[in-house]
Amino acid sequence: MDLKTICELPGISGREEPVRKAIYTECVVKLGEENVMIDRAGNVIAHKAGKKADAPRVMIAAHMDEVGLMVVSAAEDGLLRVCAIGGVDPRVLVSKRVKVGYGENQIDGVIGAMAIHQQTAEDRKHVLPISQLYVDIGAKDKAEAEAKAPMGTPIVFDTPYTEFGENKVLVKALDDRVACYNMLRLLDCDANCDTWFAFTSQEEVGCRGSEAAAFRINPDIGIALEGTSANDTGNLPECQQVCAQGKGVAISFMDKATIAQPEMFREMIALAQEKGIPHQVKMAVAGGNDSGPMQRAHTGAKTCVLSVPCRYIHSPSTICDLYDVEAQYQLVKAFLEK
Amino acid sequence: MNMEIFDFLKEMACKHGPSGHEYEVAEWFKSKFEPLCDSVTVDRLFNVIAYKKATIPTRDGSPAPKVMLAAHQDEIALMVADILEDGTLRMGTVGGVDPRILPASTVTVHAREAEGGYQKLLGVVGALPPHLQSEADSQRNYQFTELYVDLGLPAEKVKALVQIGDLITLNGPATRLLNDRCASKTMDDRACVGVLLEAAERLQTMGHKCDIYFVATSQEEVGSGGATTAAYAIDPDLGVALDVSHATLPSSRPDTTIPLDAPAVTIGPYVQYKLVNRMRETAKKHGIKLNTETASRRTYTDTDSMQIARCGVPMVLIDVPLKYMHTSVELLDMNVIRESGRLLAHFLNEIDEGWDSELWI
Repeated sequence: MDLKTICELPGISGREEPVRKAIYTECVVKLGEENVMIDRAGNVIAHKAGKKADAPRVMIAAHMDEVGLMVVSAAEDGLLRVCAIGGVDPRVLVSKRVKVGYGENQIDGVIGAMAIHQQTAEDRKHVLPISQLYVDIGAKDKAEAEAKAPMGTPIVFDTPYTEFGENKVLVKALDDRVACYNMLRLLDCDANCDTWFAFTSQEEVGCRGSEAAAFRINPDIGIALEGTSANDTGNLPECQQVCAQGKGVAISFMDKATIAQPEMFREMIALAQEKGIPHQVKMAVAGGNDSGPMQRAHTGAKTCVLSVPCRYIHSPSTICDLYDVEAQYQLVKAFLEK
Repeated sequence: MNMEIFDFLKEMACKHGPSGHEYEVAEWFKSKFEPLCDSVTVDRLFNVIAYKKATIPTRDGSPAPKVMLAAHQDEIALMVADILEDGTLRMGTVGGVDPRILPASTVTVHAREAEGGYQKLLGVVGALPPHLQSEADSQRNYQFTELYVDLGLPAEKVKALVQIGDLITLNGPATRLLNDRCASKTMDDRACVGVLLEAAERLQTMGHKCDIYFVATSQEEVGSGGATTAAYAIDPDLGVALDVSHATLPSSRPDTTIPLDAPAVTIGPYVQYKLVNRMRETAKKHGIKLNTETASRRTYTDTDSMQIARCGVPMVLIDVPLKYMHTSVELLDMNVIRESGRLLAHFLNEIDEGWDSELWI
């Protein structure tokens, strides 16, 4: 599956089914039905047996879900009240396009707010919380809105895949479809270890899927593949940047979920140096991810996190650099084939 | 209109024309008016003036009344105010842009080229991320000084391509919603130019005793410069301006908005009350729903400058209701464009030699 297709699929946390179906189908084609399963937490787990019986069990995780919105209720005038699924800064929502629902029933919507002409000086200062924003699908009244987008309907950002600038891609949901894309490519690699590919659910609402997946897999080694925040624009001093685009895969020493196992961290850097794979160390202790559940499953695993730096993460317009996408793929491939 | 209204809106949303820089959109509107009018010119301020000569002679042989219809084609925009060291761009405004709509929006930077052309570059508006802001700062909206445009290019390339003063337009493709509603950038006010085209097409078969000047005006968003010079050039006997007006939202004061499903006409000192009544009677006669709204002083449309052009012009102002004005998701009901066009065509069809006999007494 190409990066465009996988990013444009809708799948908020808990409602990953369009992404799950596409990933499951591709895993089955590549590894056979007997090696792929969908577990009871909604994860897709694909297994590639190791070459030797005593090969370590390696779990690689990338999450399928994306941040978005969900319909809470319809107002009398047909506007949809919504809540955020995952961490969404309400300041990125005004004047954006969204897709409401999935598949055949999907309809377009926009997020509007009172015009600048009608705002008071006080209005201009305050951030409109999500509870005061609404999605407009053009419905005439409450009954029509409820029929077209009942309570619980998932909503995703409508940002089509666009290549622009130098080597950059603009699209919604790069966090974490960029890693799902790389993991699907890794299914073909010539792995030495006993490799378990976990396409996890519900990472954005508390790493729920990976808890169940890590329990089942019980890995010796866990690698979380992420799209992480790159704050390399807007003339920020280097000390405030998390990682920078075009400098390769970002290797974390620590984030809010785990401290990278020191041996793993050193090994990844040494491997990247040896193979000439562009890499950088993620400079901020920020963000949590599926490495947490992997590290603490059963009797514990050695973990590390390898990320593609993405700008404006959790917003409708996420950006990655194709050079870094390739670097993430190459480093994981080199590790698995070692 | 020959085209479906949605197709028209879709195309118009791709045309760029910030105030004072309407050349691209002006050429497009010129091509739209040409098949419907006797002559179309683009003047020095990029006003598109489409002349449609009277098709029915006056009974007494008096000169045909001259009617000027104005809807503005310019759009609010941004411009490059500074190029930062890392190649991101700080923005200034052209017209009233609300900074609240900008974070994570996509924009087009129009980079001036030496030979006179423009290169269109896609950009995304970035901002200081919440985790680098204090709790208090993340509770307030971003200011222009905290926002920037990211072109996804290395700094040296940006510096070679982009100059201070280059224009930046919002991206907002037309999105069709339920119930014939549509959201797009620049509905304000090109949807009203669509109303003019709709009326022009209907008049092809209806006929009219007045000489008609359809004008897609320039620079309305920065003070109606285009309408001022166009009204001077045309010297009309009466004028009709068409602009968008705020439609009802949950948070709005009911007395400041109009319902989304029908056009309205403005009542107040800057418009001529008998012409307003004439418009209302025309609507009633032809079964067109027409709401009313009031403006106690300025209307903030081309009406204000047209009313006092040369020796004065009696005016009517038609309002097309719009939600989310000055955003990239300006939302309207496409049926209002059709109905406003029908209303305008009947109004023009019924202007005859006696139109002003009891105008002022």
